[in-house]
Amino acid sequence: MQELGKVHQLIISIFGHNMVFNLEAIAMTWIVFAILILFGFFASRKKSRLPGPLQAMGELFVSQLFALTEDALDKDLAKTYGPMITALFMFLLLSNWIGMIPYLEEPTKDLNTPLSLGLMGFVIAHYAGIKSKGFKTYAKAYFEPIFFMMPLNLIGELAKIVSISFRLFGNIMGGSIIILVVSYLTYSVILPPFLNAFFGLFVGGIQAFVFTMLTVVYISVQVK
Amino acid sequence: MSNDFQTWVNVAAYIGGGAAMGLGAIGAAIGEGYTAAYANSAISRSPNLSGEIFKSMLVGQAVAESASIFALVIAMVLLFTEFSSQSFLMIFVPLSAGLSIGFGAIGSGVGSGFPAGAACMGISRQPAMSAKLTTNMLIGSAVCQTPAIFALVTSFILLFTDFSSSPVSPTWAAILGAGLASGLGAIGSGLGGGLVAGASCDGIARQPKSATTVTNVMLLGQAVTQTTAIYGLLISFILMFKTFAPTDSIAAAMALLGAGLSIGIGAIGPGIGEGFTAQSAVSSIAKNQKATAEITRVMLVGQAVSESTGIYALVISLVLIFVI
Repeated sequence: MQELGKVHQLIISIFGHNMVFNLEAIAMTWIVFAILILFGFFASRKKSRLPGPLQAMGELFVSQLFALTEDALDKDLAKTYGPMITALFMFLLLSNWIGMIPYLEEPTKDLNTPLSLGLMGFVIAHYAGIKSKGFKTYAKAYFEPIFFMMPLNLIGELAKIVSISFRLFGNIMGGSIIILVVSYLTYSVILPPFLNAFFGLFVGGIQAFVFTMLTVVYISVQVK
Repeated sequence: MSNDFQTWVNVAAYIGGGAAMGLGAIGAAIGEGYTAAYANSAISRSPNLSGEIFKSMLVGQAVAESASIFALVIAMVLLFTEFSSQSFLMIFVPLSAGLSIGFGAIGSGVGSGFPAGAACMGISRQPAMSAKLTTNMLIGSAVCQTPAIFALVTSFILLFTDFSSSPVSPTWAAILGAGLASGLGAIGSGLGGGLVAGASCDGIARQPKSATTVTNVMLLGQAVTQTTAIYGLLISFILMFKTFAPTDSIAAAMALLGAGLSIGIGAIGPGIGEGFTAQSAVSSIAKNQKATAEITRVMLVGQAVSESTGIYALVISLVLIFVI
C-alpha cells in the first residue's frame, strides 16, 4: 500500500537543469516496442494466401483500422495516416494490457506517455490542416466567429491535448489504483482477476480505441 | 471531552467517509431504479424473453453500481486508516477526498442506468440482437464510469500524498478546491455520457444494421462529453502538485478554493449539454446511416460551442491560481 505513487526516477543535471527520467515507464515502453516489433516480424515473415494465426491477427488490425480511418478521412489521406493510426492503436492496446502481467506496469499510467502521444496527434492534425487548406484558411478559423474570440479558440484547441491525454491517463491510473487497493483490502482473494479483466482488458481496450479515434477525428476536423 | 488534534483529524475522516458513501449512493440507486423500471416495462411487452431481459438488467445494474462501489472503497479507507496528525492540513485531506468521490459518483451512477434501461427495452424489441445490445451497453456504461474514475484518482492522490511540508495557509484551500473540482466536475459528464449510451442502445435495437457505426459515434460523443470533467481533473492536479508560497491572507487561499469551485460547477452544464447533442446525433445516425459524416461533424461543432462555457470556467480557474 505504501508503494502507491512511488516512481523510480533517474535525475541527470545538465547545465543546471534537472532532466528527470521515469525509469519504469521507459523500460515498459521498450518492452511494448519489442513485443510489437517481434509481432510484426513474425506476422509478416511467411505471407501466404491462407494466413496463419499471427498473419490473420495482423491483417485484422490493419484492415479494421484502415476502414476506420477511411470513414473519417478520404481514401488518399487514409493511405498517408492509416499506418500511423494502426501503429498508435496497437501500441496503446498493448500498453494498457501489459499491466495485467505481474511485475509489469502500463507505460500509459505515467502521464508523460499519453501526453507525448496526444502532442504528436495534435501536431500531425495541424500539419495536415495547414497542408490541405493552406495557411491563410487555417489561421482564419481561429478568428471566427469574431476576431476577439482568438485567445479562447486557441485555449480550446490546446485543451484538446490535455483532454485526450488525461482521459487515457486517468482511466489507466484509476484502474491500477483500484486493483491495488481492493487487492490489499481483500488480501487478494477472489476479486483481483475480475477487476483485472474489467479495468485491464475492457476499459484498457476501450480507451485505446477512444484515443485512436479521437486522433483520427482531430485530423479530419482540421482537414475539412 | 477531548479536543486535541488527533480528534479533529478523526472527525474529518469520519465526516469525509460519511459524505463519500452518502453522496455516492445517490446516483447508482437512481440509475439502477431506472434500469429496473424499463426492464419491467420490457418484460410486459414480451414476457417470453423475461430471462434474457432479467440477465441484461442485472449486468447493467452491476456496472451502474460500480460508481458507488468506488465511493465505498474510499469510505472504507477513510474509516479504517490511521491518519497522522503531523500537520494541520490532515484535517482537510480526508474531507476533500470524501467529497470528491461522493460528488463524482452521482453523475456516473445515474448515467449508467440509461444504457441499461435502453438495452432491456431493445432486447424486447429485437431479441436477435441481444448479444450485440449487451456488448454495446457494457461499453457505453463502462465509458460512463470514466468521470467517477477521475474523481477516484483525485481522492486517492489526496490520501496518499504527503502534504506535511507544505505551508498550511493556502494549501488547505487548494486541497479542498482539488476535491471539489474533480467531484463536482464529474456530475455533468457522467449524466451526459449516459444519455449518449442510452440513445445508442435504442438506436441499435431499431436499426440493427447500423450497430458498428452507432457504437463508434457513441464512443466519440461520450469522449467529447467528458472533456469538461477532464478540465476538472486538470485543475485538481495543478492544485495538488503546485507548491504555493505561504501567505497569511485569507483572500489568497480563497482564490484557490474559488478555482476549484469555478471549474467544478462550470463543468456540470457543458457535460449535460454535450450529452444532449451526442444523444440526438447517435439516434439520428441510427435512423439515417447515410448522413453519418455530416451528422458527426455537426455534433462535434455543436459540442465545441456548448463546451465554450466550460472553457470560460477553466480560464477563470487558471487565472485564480496563477494570476491572483
